[in-house]
Amino acid sequence: MMMFGYLLASGITTGALYALVALGITVVYKATRSVNFAHGDLFMIGGFIAYTFHVMWGLPYVVALLLAVAAGFAIGAVVERLAFRPLRDQGLVSLLLAAIGLSFILKGTARAVWGGKGDFIPFPPIATPSPISVGGILVVPQQLIVLAGAIAVMAIFAGLFKFTKLGRMMQATADNAKAAKLVGIPVNRVYVYTMAIGTAIAGSAAVLMAPITLLYPDIGFVLFIKSFAAAVLGGLTSIPGAVAGGFLIGLIEAMSGGYISTQVQDVSSYIVIMLVLVFMPQGLFGGRALRRV
Amino acid sequence: MTMLSVRGLSISFGGVQALNDVSFDVEAGEIIGIIGPNGAGKTTLLNTISGLNRATAGQVSLDGVPIKGLRPPQIASLGLGRTFQMSQLFPGMTVLENVMSGLHRKMRAGAFAAAFRTRSMREEEQATAEKAWEALRYVGMERFAHHPGTALSFGQQRVIEIARTLIGEPKLVLLDEPAVGLSVNRVAELDRLLRRIRDEKGVTLIMIEHVVRLVMGVCDRVLVLNYGVKIAEGKPEQIVADPQVIEAYLGSEFDAKRLAS
Amino acid sequence: MRLLLGSRQFLFLMFAALAVVPAVANPYILYICNLGMLYVILAVGLNILVGYAGQFALANAAMFGIGAYGAGLLQVKLGAPYFLAAPGGAILAMLIGTAIVFPALRLSGIYLGLSTLAFAMFSQWVLLHWNSVTFGGGGFPAPHLDLSPLPIGPDTGIYFLSWLVTIALVAFAWSLVRSRIGRAFVAVRDGEIAAQSLGIDLLRYKALAFAISGFYAGTAGALYAPLLGYVSPEGFDLFQMIIQKSMIVVGGMGSVMGSVLGAAVMVFLLELLRAFKSTQEIVFGSILIAFVMFRPRGLVTLLQRLPGWEEPLSSFDPRRLFAPAASEPASSPLGASPELADEGRR
Repeated sequence: MMMFGYLLASGITTGALYALVALGITVVYKATRSVNFAHGDLFMIGGFIAYTFHVMWGLPYVVALLLAVAAGFAIGAVVERLAFRPLRDQGLVSLLLAAIGLSFILKGTARAVWGGKGDFIPFPPIATPSPISVGGILVVPQQLIVLAGAIAVMAIFAGLFKFTKLGRMMQATADNAKAAKLVGIPVNRVYVYTMAIGTAIAGSAAVLMAPITLLYPDIGFVLFIKSFAAAVLGGLTSIPGAVAGGFLIGLIEAMSGGYISTQVQDVSSYIVIMLVLVFMPQGLFGGRALRRV
Repeated sequence: MTMLSVRGLSISFGGVQALNDVSFDVEAGEIIGIIGPNGAGKTTLLNTISGLNRATAGQVSLDGVPIKGLRPPQIASLGLGRTFQMSQLFPGMTVLENVMSGLHRKMRAGAFAAAFRTRSMREEEQATAEKAWEALRYVGMERFAHHPGTALSFGQQRVIEIARTLIGEPKLVLLDEPAVGLSVNRVAELDRLLRRIRDEKGVTLIMIEHVVRLVMGVCDRVLVLNYGVKIAEGKPEQIVADPQVIEAYLGSEFDAKRLAS
Repeated sequence: MRLLLGSRQFLFLMFAALAVVPAVANPYILYICNLGMLYVILAVGLNILVGYAGQFALANAAMFGIGAYGAGLLQVKLGAPYFLAAPGGAILAMLIGTAIVFPALRLSGIYLGLSTLAFAMFSQWVLLHWNSVTFGGGGFPAPHLDLSPLPIGPDTGIYFLSWLVTIALVAFAWSLVRSRIGRAFVAVRDGEIAAQSLGIDLLRYKALAFAISGFYAGTAGALYAPLLGYVSPEGFDLFQMIIQKSMIVVGGMGSVMGSVLGAAVMVFLLELLRAFKSTQEIVFGSILIAFVMFRPRGLVTLLQRLPGWEEPLSSFDPRRLFAPAASEPASSPLGASPELADEGRR
């Protein structure tokens, strides 16, 4: 029972992380109908930037978090404006290759500025490392902070999406970009905001997660694939789905890692992607099926 | 001789009944028009006959052979041709290559023959190119043979699509709005071309069309669909005077007075 | 300015030059040229699937690996001689690659790309962890090519074998696309619905495209094993997939010549990047982005305007045989005569 509790806590915590990153992926997908291959690397850069602020410059954690989020926002906006917008009409392959190029640039920059090929950068924990008991399960306080932080970000985002003008414009653009344009919505600018917000979310996830997991330049792609699995499981067009998918993947990983073997942990998300896309492409919560008639 | 027989054809998409118990026959050598307000199910009808959609009920036979439930390539090989509302010429090929594709299912060369460039494959390619050239001449488009598939106006593309379909020697061709966007002169040309196709090649034609002039001029009979239901069938002059038809259109296109002038 | 070479002559010269390399170059250059030829095979195969047939599948690097592992393991575990193990590896890759057609029937675009990518990563994981069969992460040594009693050393031997195979596979691809098969691929890419209505069976042609690219990748893998003398999961990972994808985009999708160009450029680029040491990734990423922004259709488009470089989809150039009759007025492409004046006010 102890093990199950431990796995549950661990699964929920990493699940929260995947949920956040999946949220970013889904938001960008809903608006632009494309998946940003470099999303994970943007997350990684957010984490490294937070490291700079918090560990290297000694700023308080919360300040570092906010700055990293702001930096993510800015970087996302720049990337969309400079790299993705001109290529949007060129088709998938161009966008994919541009994202790949971006991924390399981000990784190379991280290595050049902060560390070597395999270097992990240590992020000190925010709370005391001694475990406390929650409902009979032992958790490390950092995990609770991660969870709380993730939920806070999701709530803020949900509020933004539902209640602000920008959020409604994003929804409209996501549903039908042409119609949105006709109605006067500045679609290009919405894309910029969408990318910016998606990246900011990823940045926040990185900062929340950094004290628990070691941050290294190559973490981007691994995280991207897992979070993509989460987004697909939830149905790429559903925001609550992305969140649910994230927690599910986190739990699947934890459980398969604990009960089957650690090696299966890695591969479980690949299997999820393949199975879902082939047998249930709309995921758990997606509305339209992805098949063409 | 009945070329196409449709009985009780119905299809629904997620709760919307797009076609409801549609029945009609088409005799060989007829030119049939299908008209109806937008959203009446005309294109769905064509899609269902040609196998792109699966009917939920009903029967379809082509020249006596039941085709409901067959996949489009199989129906094509039984003698059905089809053109589309939005031009479906392949942009990655020249016009001539597009028309050559129309003979795909009659050609025999497989991957190995192609990879090794056997003599029979080369002869077949040559013969196909010649036939494609002839098909383009038939519709008057041979001067564009080596242009990319989409470097032409929609009207020209549509005519080439007709050539691409004709080259396969179909028995029946379904045309989806062949005249859309054409000028008066071009509609007259299309009228002549369609008649030639029927008279010289013995092909039966079914066309969805909104251009009144063409429907009245070239169709032997007209079917009217509204909300997935066949509401009238008969000669063009009868249809135009049919009060149900006029009501369906709310007098916008089929105004008898306008037509008389 | 009319270029003296058409694409055919260019290829001839290129392969002639490659034939001379073993006599004049040091072992490292020999290795690079050999690898370059394998990249040509990979690029040509992938281009048929992605460029011609339009299937956005990202599992080719895995097929490359399966070919190498297949050939290597058949030799090492079952003692098969190379001339059986190599086709064995290639056919194994072809079969597995063809199985991917089933998701491809329902998925397209990003979904196909990411699901095939997931499959590739799954295969990578299998190679890494199925220790009893694949020797796990450390890999295993694969025998060099032994052409005794012929007086050819292993390095030269694998070089010429690769040379022969590359020429054959490029020639096959060249002919294949200039046929009804090539037209069928383009039809599937450009208009599935119309293609079906013309009698083109989507499953059959997609499967064929997957089979061909799988076979080509597997063959490259089977040649790679003796070239390196070692087989391990590393060379068949995501980065390899990125290289392959980049080759066909940089060279030109939907073009056999483009694949060759892309492979040559990539080999050159990868060598060049060594000089950059720590900023390798930044340079590579920037070059990719620059390419995609400024030459998205590939380098080959620069050449395709020149006579002798077109790539028709039929087995002889119809332009030479079918020209509008001399009596007809030489009209501008959209028709200068009033009869054909543009009427569609779109």
